[in-house]
Amino acid sequence: MAVLVADNLHKTFRAQGKTVRAVEGVSLRVERGEVLAFLGPNGAGKTTTIKMVAGLIHPDRGRVQVAGRDPHRDPWALRQLGAVLEGNRNVYWRLTPLENLEYFGVLKGLAAAEARRRGERLLERFDLSGKRSALTQQLSRGMQQKLAIAVSLIHEPALLLLDEPTLGLDVEAAETVKALIRELAAEGQAIVLTTHHLEVAQQLSHRVAIIREGRIVAEDLTDRLLARFSGDQYEIEVAGELDVARRTRLAALGAEALDGRIVFVGDAEGLWHVLEALKPLPILRVEKDRADLTKVFLKLIREDVRA
Amino acid sequence: MLRVVAVEFKRSLLMLRRYPMEMVGQLIVITLIFYGLFLGARYIAGPAAQFGERLDALVVGYVLWTLALFAIGDLSWGLMNEAREGTLEQVFLSPFGPARVYMARNVAGLLLMLGLNLSILGLIMLLTGVRLDFSWAALAPLATVLLGAYGLGFLLGALALYFKRIQAFLNLFQFVLMFLIMTPFEQLHGPVRTAGFLLPMTPGAGQLRALLARGEAFDPDLFALALVSGIVYLAIGLWVFGRAVRIVKQRGLIGGY
Repeated sequence: MAVLVADNLHKTFRAQGKTVRAVEGVSLRVERGEVLAFLGPNGAGKTTTIKMVAGLIHPDRGRVQVAGRDPHRDPWALRQLGAVLEGNRNVYWRLTPLENLEYFGVLKGLAAAEARRRGERLLERFDLSGKRSALTQQLSRGMQQKLAIAVSLIHEPALLLLDEPTLGLDVEAAETVKALIRELAAEGQAIVLTTHHLEVAQQLSHRVAIIREGRIVAEDLTDRLLARFSGDQYEIEVAGELDVARRTRLAALGAEALDGRIVFVGDAEGLWHVLEALKPLPILRVEKDRADLTKVFLKLIREDVRA
Repeated sequence: MLRVVAVEFKRSLLMLRRYPMEMVGQLIVITLIFYGLFLGARYIAGPAAQFGERLDALVVGYVLWTLALFAIGDLSWGLMNEAREGTLEQVFLSPFGPARVYMARNVAGLLLMLGLNLSILGLIMLLTGVRLDFSWAALAPLATVLLGAYGLGFLLGALALYFKRIQAFLNLFQFVLMFLIMTPFEQLHGPVRTAGFLLPMTPGAGQLRALLARGEAFDPDLFALALVSGIVYLAIGLWVFGRAVRIVKQRGLIGGY
């Protein structure tokens, strides 16, 4: 059974005579151990969707199920959900990490002693034990973010919502947070990740959903999506000069020689013909063009704008 | 639910400790006021002076005034701060729901304030050797006034949740509280008395005046009215707060400031 089922969510906001259709028919599914990267430009409806999943915004239409329970009807569904929300401190800066863990653990339904025990374990795991008694406001941004993630896990939820978890972190802290997310997913945690760092999304996600103006414009396994957007373009590098006859032959096959590289757009069979034409020059490199998530994202967002 | 009250009490205590100057200032103010009262400075009790000339009446009146002010404003100030600092949404993610969490926070805060006041009072009594002759019967109407004050606290909390900035309105509310606690509706007659008693906290405040200032006997009918008034206003406050939670969830306004 999927940990998260969000089905046909709609949300319209009305303010000062204006109507904004923030989310239109968004559906998401996340299985155990899966990281779903939920991507979109600013104002596309990501945060509204995430907050509808978390029970913080009521959808106008559609339904949400977290581990089989609807957080909008059954408050105890929130027991299965942990969230780190963007633009929020998420934790009390005037409490220590352990005090925060205990407080939010009890708020999630744990006994204080149990919350403290789990809190100690999480501090150990997140490498924050040395800071257990320091005030949270004195921690580095990276440590504060790790603490926010630890707090969101104190009640061992089935679903973790991470809204921009690497935003504002330095390279080292971002790497630590990424490693933690990977570990959590490997242990079976279902994670919805929103981020503007597309390389982070590409590294961490099993699946990607891209939202534009409130609608999902693409949803697929990350690898499949990348393959779909990767062109049939090959780049070949050879040692030595190409003579005129060889250039002519390559041109006839649809390949073009550019600055010591040969670029060919076509299928695998055509590629073999190109390689044949290059014989006996030593081949240094043959590489198929592979799209990255940034390329896919921009293509989809721009296509959608043009449409 | 007791767990939540306990953890809220611990959180309030820790937060208080983390603002040492504010805590020291608060302790000094409470000590000075009680000490002033013991020395005969009647005016220092402010609106509490309405509860009579005797020292015990002044002390009860002052404690009530402090707790009522706290009960009415604390939730709203807390909500405004949390919306600004970005912890409000995490509180809303508790399966207990915001109304129960904030109720627990109110109870914890009240216990803390009460503990602080009573400790200092006890210390001054010990140091000065003065003994107070409390009328324990006064505790019952005092509790009903606090129920009403928490009802108003939740009403204002609903406004704070929706509008996020209601500081000016909260300051103004001190005068409303003064009017509700100081007006002697119990000594008026006819429809004005009835209308006055329909307002929050007025029957309980009236009974306190009767007991402490005028030395009258405990009136069970008036107490029943005060209790019903307290419960009804608390219920109204909680209901309106619940509606406000639904509205802010509908309009996506929980985190915004």
